Amino acid sequence: MGIKKASGMLLTLLLLFTLAACGGGNNAANNGENTTNDTGNKDSSAPDTSKFVKISYVVLGDKPKNGQFEKVLAKVNEIMKEKINAELEWKWVEWADWQTKYNLLLASGEKVDLITIGTDWLDTWANAQRGAFMNLDELLPRYAPETWKSVPEKDWNESRYNGKIVLIPENDYTQWVNHGFFYRGDWAKEAGLNEPIKNWEEIGQYLQYIKDNKPDVIPWDMASGAVTWGGYIQSYTDNLDLPLSTGYMPVFTAVSNDEKYTVAEPIFSDLFLNYAKLMKEWADKGFWREDALNNKNDNRIALKAGLSGLDQHHTQTFSTLRVEMDKAEPGSELQMFPFNRTGGKNLMELSITHGGTSLGAHSKNPERALMAYDLIRNNEEIYHLINYGIEGVQYEIKDGKRTLPANYNEASDSFYADFWGGRMDKFEIPSETVWSEIGTLYDEYDKIKIPYPYGQFVFDKTPVESELTAISQVAGELGPAINFGKVSDPAKAVEEFRAKIKTAGYDKVKAELQKQLDAFKQKMEDAK
Amino acid sequence: MDETFVSARKKKDTSGLVVQWIGYLFIGLFALCCLLPFLLVLGTSFTSESAIKLSGFNFWPKEFSTFAYKIVFENPDLIIGSYIVTIVMTIVGTAIGLLLVAMTGYALQRPDFMYRNKISFFIYFTTLFSGGLVPFYLLITQYLHLKDNYLAVLLPGLLSPFLIIMMKSFVRSIPHAITESAKIDGAGDFTIFLRLILPMTTPALATIGLFIALGYWNEWYNSMLFLSPDMKYRTLQLFLYNVITSADFVRNSAAASNVQLRDVPLESMKMATAVVATGPVILFYPFVQRYFIKGITVGAVKG
Repeated sequence: MGIKKASGMLLTLLLLFTLAACGGGNNAANNGENTTNDTGNKDSSAPDTSKFVKISYVVLGDKPKNGQFEKVLAKVNEIMKEKINAELEWKWVEWADWQTKYNLLLASGEKVDLITIGTDWLDTWANAQRGAFMNLDELLPRYAPETWKSVPEKDWNESRYNGKIVLIPENDYTQWVNHGFFYRGDWAKEAGLNEPIKNWEEIGQYLQYIKDNKPDVIPWDMASGAVTWGGYIQSYTDNLDLPLSTGYMPVFTAVSNDEKYTVAEPIFSDLFLNYAKLMKEWADKGFWREDALNNKNDNRIALKAGLSGLDQHHTQTFSTLRVEMDKAEPGSELQMFPFNRTGGKNLMELSITHGGTSLGAHSKNPERALMAYDLIRNNEEIYHLINYGIEGVQYEIKDGKRTLPANYNEASDSFYADFWGGRMDKFEIPSETVWSEIGTLYDEYDKIKIPYPYGQFVFDKTPVESELTAISQVAGELGPAINFGKVSDPAKAVEEFRAKIKTAGYDKVKAELQKQLDAFKQKMEDAK
Repeated sequence: MDETFVSARKKKDTSGLVVQWIGYLFIGLFALCCLLPFLLVLGTSFTSESAIKLSGFNFWPKEFSTFAYKIVFENPDLIIGSYIVTIVMTIVGTAIGLLLVAMTGYALQRPDFMYRNKISFFIYFTTLFSGGLVPFYLLITQYLHLKDNYLAVLLPGLLSPFLIIMMKSFVRSIPHAITESAKIDGAGDFTIFLRLILPMTTPALATIGLFIALGYWNEWYNSMLFLSPDMKYRTLQLFLYNVITSADFVRNSAAASNVQLRDVPLESMKMATAVVATGPVILFYPFVQRYFIKGITVGAVKG
């Protein structure tokens, strides 16, 4: 009897849960329909703004504590009130366990209006699948007309889930996060290298010159976290990175831009052996510390102190580091060798949905929320307030560049809004902290860049979760020694790496990845 | 204890002495193992970041600096506020929690309580299966409407099945005859519980109380979930956690790379927050420690 009762209860509970889950989904769908109906009825009349409303905007970041944010937002809200009779409320999801909290916020059906999204780091497609976002097709042209007009159709296509627009992409903002080596132009010249450096051999010559001529300098004071294998792939193949993490080292890539739906195996090509040999050679020549694997120092601090000649990170970092270096080491002429320069066929733009904004499915005032978004994005005054703060307090414009006012105090005056949901190049004021000639690098990129192809590809890990974990484990275990040239025989180490990764279930993951890429290819071709 | 040592020495029992010294040595070493890391943390928290970078962590600061504490205490009213929230939460939570756990534990083992097994099952069941995070979050925010309310942190910590089971098995060692005889003398259930049972369970109460108190003291997850940054004062651990994560993020973030950053002494700051968080517990612990030991031994002997 007891067991029967208990199991009966369990069943009821299960039923309840499933019912509740279904109910949630239905609600979301209904909401979407209702709003579209509403807009349909009131077509052609001006949007009704007679009732004052509050619009929430969920951003990621820690709320500033010095009170400046409130002052800026008050200014923004003056304009908001005047233009659309609404007020913005900034809701912060702090960095403490943000992934959990962000997804909970959407799963719980809280009434959020605008919310920051990112397809590659904020689970946007998964949330869209759960019905967390409102369908914007009908609402956008009417309530965010400027945004609607300014985003090209192909970018809207990137923003669709199941044929419906669920987000507004950050498609007009230049950010380059492609990696490369940073080297000192002055030392490269001394070393007789014709600038700019175009491949790893020249980087090797450069490091050798430092080793021979600068006794106090560690040519490359790299720290334990540094990995350049991904960069090597970019330099010596046309392979493209895939949005799939295998821990310490990338193990899967796509063949090239022409065959972007075919999995390549850099680990099983000669490339990996060449890389292992090169790293071994560099380590033996003493380009980095003997104990680099345990080195916790900050490479960048050493670089700025003139104690290291090489660093490795992405273009965005370089753009500000160059200015800092010009101050810390005058005449150093820091340069960047982007890994993609060597081959020049695999420089992908950042996905336009790396940042963006969606409307919560349970938003109470979707119309006004979109109107507010349209203003943030297209009203220069509001844009500057939200991104930079108040002129004269947070920044001053000198020779067309943003600089800090004379009496600026970091602790009491600093300001940020963590607005990554629709920045626009046309309103950006160049900053004093960004290298003025960074444009030359951007021009170079513009010539070779290819659009990001995987904006809507989400690898479903569930069928191969344990294999992926095992692969990451192998990569983390054997990878560092190869990356730092700390193996006695590179060929043997590479072989061991390959054998272990096979055992870990490499083939199964590859097959699954290929299967999902095929499905994605089909989907992309159907959409055309 | 002293007497046994004295008599052992009188008998000149050398084997006893050896055991005794081995015991001292072992416990001494063990104590050192516990103490040294804390001293390292303390030392490092007062070391300047550059010295940490050059020579690693040290017991004695190579370059004395209080910069890390300066950053942690940058907004003194915030940290004091969080301290007060945590202290109040700990005291109130422990008091109410103890009462509830003791009452539940006692009631669940009384033989004359008809549904004790069924109710016990309900409680045990939650240790095996739980709804998971999303239903929990929904319950608190959508049904109880406790978002941005300190109760959202206080309530979930009051009763834990594990502590109820502990209490139940401890109370079981008190013969039911006591309850019965009190009943015959005309005592009501509350009188029996408050005047007879509670005093007999002090060791268990101290142990469980410490568990609950530590739980509230270390609480950050529920506050992270339910107390939004719009609330000025949240629990201490969350505050400290935020100090660290934001510093960490500022240093590593790609998204924030166009923001001008100030120098943040990350390593020494981590240590400073650890000191700030543990300090009061260390001061408080010696006072409850004797109950703690007794609670465990008594429990062990009577099994």
